[in-house]
Amino acid sequence: MTGVRLEGIVKAYGRIQVVHGIDLNVEEKEFVVLVGPSGCGKSTTLRMIAGLEEITDGTLHIHERLCNRVAPKDRDVAMVFQNYALYPHLNVADNIAFGLRIRKTPKAEIAKSVSDVAEILGLTEYLDRRPADLSGGQRQRVAMGRAIVRHPKVFLFDEPLSNLDAKLRTQMRAEIKRLHKRLDVTSVYVTHDQVEAMTLADRIVVMNKGIIEQIGTPMDLFMNPANTFVASFIGSPPMNQMPATITRSPDGYRALIDQVSVPLHNSLSVSEGQDVIVGIRPEHFSLKNDGGLPAIPLSLDLVETLGSEALLHATVDNQSVIVKTDTNGDISQLSNVDTVYVPPEKVKIFDAGTGKVIS
Amino acid sequence: MTAKSVGNAANNTASGTPDGTVEYAAPALTLGDKLSRAVDHFRNEWQLYVMLAPAVIWCIVFLYKPMYGLQIAFKDYSIFRGVAASPWIGLEHFETLFGNDQFIRAVFNTIKISALNLLFGFPAPIILALMFNEVLHAGYKRFAQTIVYLPHFISTVIIAGIVITAFSPTAGIVNTILGWFGADSIYFLTKPEWFRPIFVGTGIWQEAGFGSIVFLAAIAGVNPSLYESAVVDGASRWQMMWKITIPSILPTIIIMLIIRIGNIMEVSFELIILLYQPATYSTADVVNTFVYRQGLQSGQYDMAAAAGLFNAAVAFVLVVAANSLSRRYSRTSLW
Repeated sequence: MTGVRLEGIVKAYGRIQVVHGIDLNVEEKEFVVLVGPSGCGKSTTLRMIAGLEEITDGTLHIHERLCNRVAPKDRDVAMVFQNYALYPHLNVADNIAFGLRIRKTPKAEIAKSVSDVAEILGLTEYLDRRPADLSGGQRQRVAMGRAIVRHPKVFLFDEPLSNLDAKLRTQMRAEIKRLHKRLDVTSVYVTHDQVEAMTLADRIVVMNKGIIEQIGTPMDLFMNPANTFVASFIGSPPMNQMPATITRSPDGYRALIDQVSVPLHNSLSVSEGQDVIVGIRPEHFSLKNDGGLPAIPLSLDLVETLGSEALLHATVDNQSVIVKTDTNGDISQLSNVDTVYVPPEKVKIFDAGTGKVIS
Repeated sequence: MTAKSVGNAANNTASGTPDGTVEYAAPALTLGDKLSRAVDHFRNEWQLYVMLAPAVIWCIVFLYKPMYGLQIAFKDYSIFRGVAASPWIGLEHFETLFGNDQFIRAVFNTIKISALNLLFGFPAPIILALMFNEVLHAGYKRFAQTIVYLPHFISTVIIAGIVITAFSPTAGIVNTILGWFGADSIYFLTKPEWFRPIFVGTGIWQEAGFGSIVFLAAIAGVNPSLYESAVVDGASRWQMMWKITIPSILPTIIIMLIIRIGNIMEVSFELIILLYQPATYSTADVVNTFVYRQGLQSGQYDMAAAAGLFNAAVAFVLVVAANSLSRRYSRTSLW
C-alpha cells in the first residue's frame, strides 16, 4: 500500500513555478528523505503534503485518499519543524498534549498518551519545564513527542536537526532512526544534509531546481548516480568530476583528461571524440597498485588529516581532485604521494552536454 | 563539590561542578584601578556617551530640575519670596487638601475615569490588533489601519470640537439619530452621568488605532511555525488566537499594562478641560484639572504642588506594585 503518492505535483506562486510536476511514491512504513540544495523545492513539497501549501496542479494521495483539498488536520499527518515550533508559554507536557486537547481527547487519555510519549523520548523528568529551560536536543525531542502523541499515519520532518550542533545532530539522527523502527510509520524527511539523508533513509529523493533528479536507496545513489548533480551532491567529499575526451586505444576506450589517460570499463557505450565528464569518488582511489590498476599521476597540494582517514587535495593536469585514504595511524608517507590508482569499473562517465551518466 | 580558587583565574579548572562552573573570587580592585578602568572605558566608548547625552540632559532639565520646585508643597510659598525663602509649613497643604471636598471628589473621579479607561480603553487596541491580524486582504488591512490611526494625529482641540458638535443638542449626529427613533434631544455634555462614557469613548476612538501598532508589532514577532504546527494539529483560527497569539503577546500586554497603571492618575487633562463645564464637575473634575484651577487660575501654587505630588506618589506606588505582581506571577516586568 502506498503511504504518500505524488503525481505531477506542481507548485507556482503567481507566475513563478517552483516545483515542476514531480512524481513520487512513498510506500507505507517507508522512510523517505528529500534532499537537495536550498531552493530546490523540497520543503515546499513537504508543506504541500502537510497541507500548508496549496497544490497548484497534480494529485496527492495519502494512504490512497485524494488529499489535494483536504484540510491539514484531516490528513492524519504530523509535522516536526526546523525551529521546533514549541509554544513558549506551555510546559513540555502541555506542548505534547496540544494537538490532543485541540481534538478534545478525554483528559485521562491525554495524560496517559503524554506519559507514554515522554517515556519513549526520555522526557519524563522535564514535563513541567518550559521550552526556554530545555537544551536544543530536548526541545527537538518535545517537538517529536508532539508529532508522535497523535499516532498519525504519516510523519513529516522539515530539517528537524539543522539547529543542533554536530554532536547532538549525530545523536538525534540515531534516535530518529530508532524511533522510526519502533513506530513503523511512513515518514517523509527533508534535509539539505546528505549525511543525514544517507544515514536515515530507506530511499533518498534528490531534488534540484524543482525537479527530482534521482530516487534510490542510499547506496544506489552513492554507487550509481544518475547525473553529475547527484554525483556531486551525494558523498562527502563529493565525487571528483573532470572534463575529458574519449579516445580509443587497442585495449579499449580511454578518457583523456588533458594529458592523463584513464582506461574505461569495456561495457560503457561511448564513442571516440565524445566530450564527457569523468567521475571518480575520492574513496575509490587507491595509493597502492593492487593488481595492475591504471596509474594517474597527480600533484599534491595539501593533506587534511581526519584521524582514521585523510583527504589529499591534489591536481590532475590542472583539474582539482580529492583523494580519500585510510591513514592506519600513520600519515608520514602521505605527503610523498604522486600517483594514485583507480579500478576502471569505479570510473563513472557522464555526458558533458546533458550531465547524464553513460552506462 | 565546589572548587574554590582565590585571586588567580588561571587556577580555575572546570572540574568543580557537574556543569563545569567553578566559584571564582575576583581580585580586589583599588580605587585607582577602578578609576583607570573607567577612564579606559570612556575613552573606548565615548561615542556611546555622546549619543546618550541629549536624553540625559532632557531628563535633567525637564524631569529632575522641576523636582526642586516640589518643596513648595511643604512651604507657604510666595512668588515674591521665592522657593528657598518661603517658610516651611510641613503637611499643612495636604491636610487642607484632604479636608477639601472638591479635591476628594477629584481623586475619586480620577480613579473612576482611570478604571473605566483601563477596563475599556486598554483592551481596545489589543482587540483591534487581533482583528487586523485576522484580515487576510492586504489592501483592505492597510486601508482600515490608516482609517483607525488617523484620529491620533488630530489635535485634541479638534477632537473636542468634533465631540461637542457630534453631541450637540441641535445639529449633532447623535441627537439626529435619536430623533429618527422619536427620542428627545439630550444635551449630553451638560449631563454629569454622560461625561465619563463620552470621555472614555472619545479616548478609545482617538487612541485605540494608534495603540494597536505596538500589539501588531508583537503579533508580527510570533513565530509563524507555531501557527503552522497548530494548523496541522487541527486548531481553528479562533483557537490559534486564544492559544497562540494572545499568550505570545502576553509579555507585551503586561508591559503596556504596567506603563498604563503608572499613568493611571494622568487622565487626558486637556480633553477634560475642553469638554467639561461647571455642570459636569461632579463627574468630570479630576486631580489634574483641580491642580490647574488651584495653581494657575487661583494662584495657589503650593496647594497645587501638594495635589500634584499626591498624584505622583499614588502613581509611583501603583506602578511598583503592578511591576512586582507581574514579575511574581508572569515572569514579565519592566525592571
